[in-house]
Amino acid sequence: MLFKGKLSIQLLLFGVLFCLTTTVKAQSTMDLRINEVLVMNQANYIDDFGQHSPWIEFFNSAYNTVDMGGLYLTNDLEKPTMYQIAKGDPTTKIAPQNYLVFWGDDHSTRGIRHLNFDLSSSKLVALFDANGRTLIDVVKLDQTHRTDTTYGRITDGGSEWGFLDKSTPGANNNTKTVITSAEKFGMVDPSGLGMAVIAMSVVFSALALLYVFFKNVAKLYTIDYRRLSARKQVVASEKPADGSGEHTGEVNAAIAMALHLYRNQLHDHENTVLTIRKVSRTYSPWSSKIYGVLNNSR
Amino acid sequence: MEQQSFLGFITDHLGQFLGYTAFANMTVGHLIMIAIGLIFIYLAIAKEYEPMLLVPIGFGILVGNIAFFPGLKVGIYESGSVLNYLYFGVLQGVYPPLIFLGIGAMTDFSALISNPKLILIGAAAQLGIFGAYALALALGFSPSEAGAIGIIGGADGPTAIFLSSKLAPDLMGAIAISAYSYMALVPVIQPPIMRLLTSKRERLIRMRPPRAVSKREKAIFPIAGLLLTCFIVPTGLPLLGMLFFGNLLKESGVTKRLADTAKGPLIDIVTILIGLTVGASTQATTFLTAKSVGIFALGAASFVVATFGGVMFVKAINLFLKEGNKINPLIGNAGVSAVPDSARVSQVVGLEYDKTNHLLMHAMGPNVAGVIGSAVAAGILLSFLY
Repeated sequence: MLFKGKLSIQLLLFGVLFCLTTTVKAQSTMDLRINEVLVMNQANYIDDFGQHSPWIEFFNSAYNTVDMGGLYLTNDLEKPTMYQIAKGDPTTKIAPQNYLVFWGDDHSTRGIRHLNFDLSSSKLVALFDANGRTLIDVVKLDQTHRTDTTYGRITDGGSEWGFLDKSTPGANNNTKTVITSAEKFGMVDPSGLGMAVIAMSVVFSALALLYVFFKNVAKLYTIDYRRLSARKQVVASEKPADGSGEHTGEVNAAIAMALHLYRNQLHDHENTVLTIRKVSRTYSPWSSKIYGVLNNSR
Repeated sequence: MEQQSFLGFITDHLGQFLGYTAFANMTVGHLIMIAIGLIFIYLAIAKEYEPMLLVPIGFGILVGNIAFFPGLKVGIYESGSVLNYLYFGVLQGVYPPLIFLGIGAMTDFSALISNPKLILIGAAAQLGIFGAYALALALGFSPSEAGAIGIIGGADGPTAIFLSSKLAPDLMGAIAISAYSYMALVPVIQPPIMRLLTSKRERLIRMRPPRAVSKREKAIFPIAGLLLTCFIVPTGLPLLGMLFFGNLLKESGVTKRLADTAKGPLIDIVTILIGLTVGASTQATTFLTAKSVGIFALGAASFVVATFGGVMFVKAINLFLKEGNKINPLIGNAGVSAVPDSARVSQVVGLEYDKTNHLLMHAMGPNVAGVIGSAVAAGILLSFLY
């Protein structure tokens, strides 16, 4: 029975761990986004063969490196496994919050980042997970595309799409100067008073929560639940049928006797108990042969 | 090719070698920094001011300010050098949480659990952080830099290193040195402020002896502490998570070996590495600037404001407490997290006025609350300014 219990706990733990690990993996690839597409490339970004080919940029919105190796790209949702990105290549790994560009030129012999379909003749482009079934992201390309103007997310990984003022392969789509949160905070609160008020309130709230918790925990600990429940049971069992709640003379006498015996038998020290412990002593001068032999002078 | 004489060869190469020596590359700044390092070592050995920190930092300053010919992968800022690899733990904020693990494993929170209202003193003393933040902004530092400088007021070296590595890595050396220097000087900075803000009658207040805390309460504390604080400030998780984890190792009673490692060899190793590398990061070329001087001035101000905040808060809550339950305001200074130095200051100053009034155990409550408070404050600064 015990073994069965342990086994079920182990199975449960294994199941939880399995779910967690699969979720983590799924979250990594599911954080990839199609970020920017150039369908008609005449004088834009040049590939490693010196060609102006259509290109597509992916953005890793996660805060860990994601490997695109093994994933599928397609321009037909009915054929999700049209192009598999080669596994085991270091160039398919995207650093956190970073980008990777593929060429949709229908020249897959030119390298693993050259697709086997042409973006300029595609109605859409989609990214599928390594299982070939889970759709990660898709973008429709049925807009009227302009030459050398990219279609992309207004902010990296964001939901709003549009034609971008500047094409930014392998770079941030938002080309305006980004103001950091610290700079924004500094502009709104130049004296630091706001920070002091907010932060001190938060520090106090966090520690006040601890105070409230431990104040009440201390109260809970001072209650002796065993004695309380025992007393309730005694009271319930000794309660007279008429409900007067008074103890009889016999009960009082018994309590007095019990208290008397208890107090008289109290003592400060436990009765001394002698024990004989065998001490291992391999050598003693008392048993030494040297002292048992007469040393006659010559 | 012209044949070089043997003598010429020797002379040329000796000249080249001399160009590599520290004598050839030394500047006045290096000499000043070496003098500062020697002062740190002297204070640590002769005066026993925070020797565990000042000896590694002081020696690290010497190591970092031996002038060398650049490009030989020697300096702490040169990629691929051994010191650079060790410095990685500082830059990426690896060492501070490990130190917090050890602190958690060696801290007894009984004083805090037995009198939970002392926790709030640990919150009040964090005023120093935000006072210094406001002053730094007024002196022209950027908000990120001001946040990193402000944390000096928490009087917590690992927290200061952790936050400055995120918000202002360039200022980290100056901030860490400033934080540790003022932590060592707590017995000098705090007593005059404590005396100034309290009356003789207040200094003689006797506090109730703390109640006994059960083993179960002690084991619940790190779990509840983590959940209650980190749900509010998840950015403090690296520090608070490790602090409470270390404490659970200690209080659970079943992981003695792990607790012993965390509070013994592990914290010792990390202290050596963090002290040496932070010291070595103070190369004269990057350290001796007007900003560093400003940071030292702000550090001193932050300690003063923190002490003020703690003492005044105790005086304020005493207005609402009944006679017999009042708190001696001399333990208000201990709200900064210089453990156990500031609690010791409370004890020493308290004994000056009443030889039988021992405040140490009472002061340990706000002192350890200060550790939690400064980590929470660091988390808040990180969420707003990172």
